[in-house]
Amino acid sequence: MSETRSSEVDAALHNLEPTGERLEFSSRTPLWVQVVKWGLILLTLAVLGWMAQQVIEAGYWLMVSLIGFIALCVIAVYATKRAIPAKYLFPGVLLMLLLQIWPLLYTVQISFTNFGDGHISSKEEAVASIVSNSVREVEGSTRYALNIAVPEGTDVATGDLAYLLTDADGAYYVGTIDGLEELPADGVEAGPTGRIISAPGWTTLTPQEVNDRSDDLADFGVPVFDDAGEQTAGIRQVGLSEAFIGTPTRVYDEEADTITDTVTGTVYVAEDANFVPENGEGAALPQGWREFVGFENYTNAFTNATLREGLTKVFVWNVFFAAFTVVATFLLGMAIALLMNDERLRGKGIYRSILILPYALPIYVTALVWASMFNQDFGLINNLFGLDINWLGSAWWARVAVLITNLWLGFPYWFIVCTGALQAIPSDVKEAAAIDGAGAFATVRRVIMPLLLVAVGPLMIASFAFNFNNFGLIWLLTEGGPFVGGQSSIGSTDLLITLAYRLALGGAAPNFGFASAISVIIFFMVAVISYFGFTRTAALEDVN
Amino acid sequence: MKRTTGAVAITSAAALLLSACGGDSGEETADQGSSAEETAAEDDAAAEDEEAADEEAAGDEAASTEAPVRDENAELVIWSDDVRAPILTEWAEQFGEEYGITTQVQVATDVRQQFKDAANVDQGPDIVVGAHDWLGEFVQNGIVEPVQMSSDTQALFTEDSLEATKYDGQIYGVPYATESLGLIRNTALAPDAPASMEDLAATGQELVDAGDADQAFVTPVSNVGDAYHAYPYLSAYGGGIFGTNSDGGWDPDNVIVGSPESIEGGEKIAWMAEEGLLNVNVDFPTMESLFAEGRTPYMVAGPWAIPNVEGAEIDYAIDPIPDFEDGGVTVPFLGVQMFYVASGAKNPTLAQEFVNTYVTTEDMQLALFEAGQRPPALQSALDTVSADDADIKAWSAAGEGASPMPNIPAMNAVWAPLGQATSDIVGGSDPAERLEAAQEEIVSNIGR
Repeated sequence: MSETRSSEVDAALHNLEPTGERLEFSSRTPLWVQVVKWGLILLTLAVLGWMAQQVIEAGYWLMVSLIGFIALCVIAVYATKRAIPAKYLFPGVLLMLLLQIWPLLYTVQISFTNFGDGHISSKEEAVASIVSNSVREVEGSTRYALNIAVPEGTDVATGDLAYLLTDADGAYYVGTIDGLEELPADGVEAGPTGRIISAPGWTTLTPQEVNDRSDDLADFGVPVFDDAGEQTAGIRQVGLSEAFIGTPTRVYDEEADTITDTVTGTVYVAEDANFVPENGEGAALPQGWREFVGFENYTNAFTNATLREGLTKVFVWNVFFAAFTVVATFLLGMAIALLMNDERLRGKGIYRSILILPYALPIYVTALVWASMFNQDFGLINNLFGLDINWLGSAWWARVAVLITNLWLGFPYWFIVCTGALQAIPSDVKEAAAIDGAGAFATVRRVIMPLLLVAVGPLMIASFAFNFNNFGLIWLLTEGGPFVGGQSSIGSTDLLITLAYRLALGGAAPNFGFASAISVIIFFMVAVISYFGFTRTAALEDVN
Repeated sequence: MKRTTGAVAITSAAALLLSACGGDSGEETADQGSSAEETAAEDDAAAEDEEAADEEAAGDEAASTEAPVRDENAELVIWSDDVRAPILTEWAEQFGEEYGITTQVQVATDVRQQFKDAANVDQGPDIVVGAHDWLGEFVQNGIVEPVQMSSDTQALFTEDSLEATKYDGQIYGVPYATESLGLIRNTALAPDAPASMEDLAATGQELVDAGDADQAFVTPVSNVGDAYHAYPYLSAYGGGIFGTNSDGGWDPDNVIVGSPESIEGGEKIAWMAEEGLLNVNVDFPTMESLFAEGRTPYMVAGPWAIPNVEGAEIDYAIDPIPDFEDGGVTVPFLGVQMFYVASGAKNPTLAQEFVNTYVTTEDMQLALFEAGQRPPALQSALDTVSADDADIKAWSAAGEGASPMPNIPAMNAVWAPLGQATSDIVGGSDPAERLEAAQEEIVSNIGR
């Protein structure tokens, strides 16, 4: 990189000095720069390699190829002398892709699925879970004391597993995947509960060794046959020292794609990502699976009665809440910043520290404290001022309470920003204004404000976007309430995001697909508003 | 206006500071009945415990709200809340020594959600300790495994607690404690247990008139309602939330919130509001501080409210929630705390062994009782504790006849609409109209 730059400098200098008297610049990059450059490249590749190894272990192959692609980009951009602008842009673009675009695409992708509670896993996993959870102890069957072993002479890590069993009468058995056999009592050593501790011809496994073979044991069971030689049940372990005879009461038929309950005889068919009774009577099996549902979530969002009724009301309040918050917190923050900027004021450091406290305290604490202060009967505010306002119980007062709290929470941010920006405004413009006969207010209004807005305009848009989705404040302060008119779906202080949260995650089963669809819709709203916002700020910059 | 992680650094200090002044930092904001409140209340208690106690094995994680990350080196990993974690650590270590394995107990601040999230990406623990009403959700997501307890072992537990561990007829965990609401009485203000709700109202009113109390009675209501605390009155005349299906399980297709029986209970809620017993301005933290300051004689709350009462040095007694004189019998929800085995457990055998052989012992149930002060679920442990602990005997009595909280996922669709309805009734809405509207809302939420 530096090599190219120095040759550019050379060229520039050459142009400056047409006389041909060239200054002596080394055209070679110093060694240490090369070393550092390659060191950094190798370090980055090493980190990426480590990450790749991690995701390989976790089995995310798409991620592996992505990491590989990033590594190639790093090499292409930094190991060569080409693409100088890319050398500057690459880290920023990469982070933007990873932290902004990737989550966005992921959300969009989820919004086309039914991903949510009850629809988490794949169909195979759901079926496996249904069948394995339906295993019941065969009624009236015996329990065995259990030890787990492999044939003597085989490796404990790979040998064929076997259960060493003791039934209630003290008789010994060996259970393998082929079935149950009696174990001669000669030489068998058993504990007080009858559990076999050692038996000739078998090596018992320590708990540690059992643990290492969890995967094998998960598929292991000793079949139990009836007189006709048909398998009727299986012996399975319960922990390390007990085994029972059990049989699944729900059986999956892969051909027909149905599940049959052997106790009730109900046949369940796959429908809408769940197994539902064929005859339509009764509940679906609890475990469903994840699948692609197309635009269903979006159609639901646009046809949802709650959303349709509440949307306009909530949207208007949402925009007002965000806009009012930005303007009010900015004005208050700026006013205090102007005040604190006065040279005649002493102890500024102390005042400033105190003033940023609301910003420094976590909202999780302060919002809850404010909520308790707004309590009608027992709250500090009503008690202190002798009021009887139903702050959090009436729609309009609740909105006022939310705005007051957010003003308190938000002004220190603008105080900090404006304090900084004010330092950058040269004092001569203020002096000039004073000489021209402008009063204090006119100076602020006509000179300082325009200069300040250039600096803080984009921040106001960011602040608007943040407050537009200020979930934490609303949820902690009012939970979106109060709910007027005998319902609990649309609250008076609900923002779109809290409404969406309640709608998507407050039902019987949290539905991330639906929640994502609503997030995508909100994203487009905020994007449009921000677009117009930025167009406006561009106009502000004409001041310069 | 993004708050960066810098703010996190002072979180714990500020939280302690503010909870010390206000005593009310803990109210959970999730809308889910008991488990939410319980966590909140316990968090408060735990914060105090932690200050005093030295950092336990898991203590350093308890201070943050981050989800725990499964310890890769441990062979048996248990996730629990911060109250039980220290005691569980001891037992897990003992188990580890006996079986020659390494164990780790990790604190999760929101066990339910964090377990669901972690299990989805296969990073979950082997064992989870939590409330029974999470079961439906866990089964639906396929993240817990049945526990095949022998019938002899099953017989060791109280009937209600064992029943609560079942979903779809299958047992999914080992219970260790039960909890329910009871009437906590300030014995300095009200020396005698009230014979009925009417009696309670009269005594409370006298105290208020005499200037000895500000509120006759407190229980959380709040502007958005609290279905868990309203349920005892709602169900007093046979009403409730769900009807039962043929196998005795809860039937999500049979919502009875708007039934005549529930409406009769709703009318009692309206009556209690008229008498000044229920007040929408009382929420969980307000209730706690009113009782702790001795400004009210009666409070209906669960065992999780006791540490705060003891901290305030209030003399108290616990009784079942009084019934109504016209025959309405108040029925609180029964919550059961249990050990779940994760289906994604890396070490299922050891996990099963631990819950089947350790959690079912009287010694461990007694130890867990010491940590949580809830009536044990194991009959013999319950008898031992009740013999010399009046509180536990009282809690156990308060929980008698309690109705197990529905553990079906549909319950999630109930908390908000029903809570809001009861809050509105306290605020003056017509019980019949309001509960019927709530019924409609619940049915449509479930169908969604």
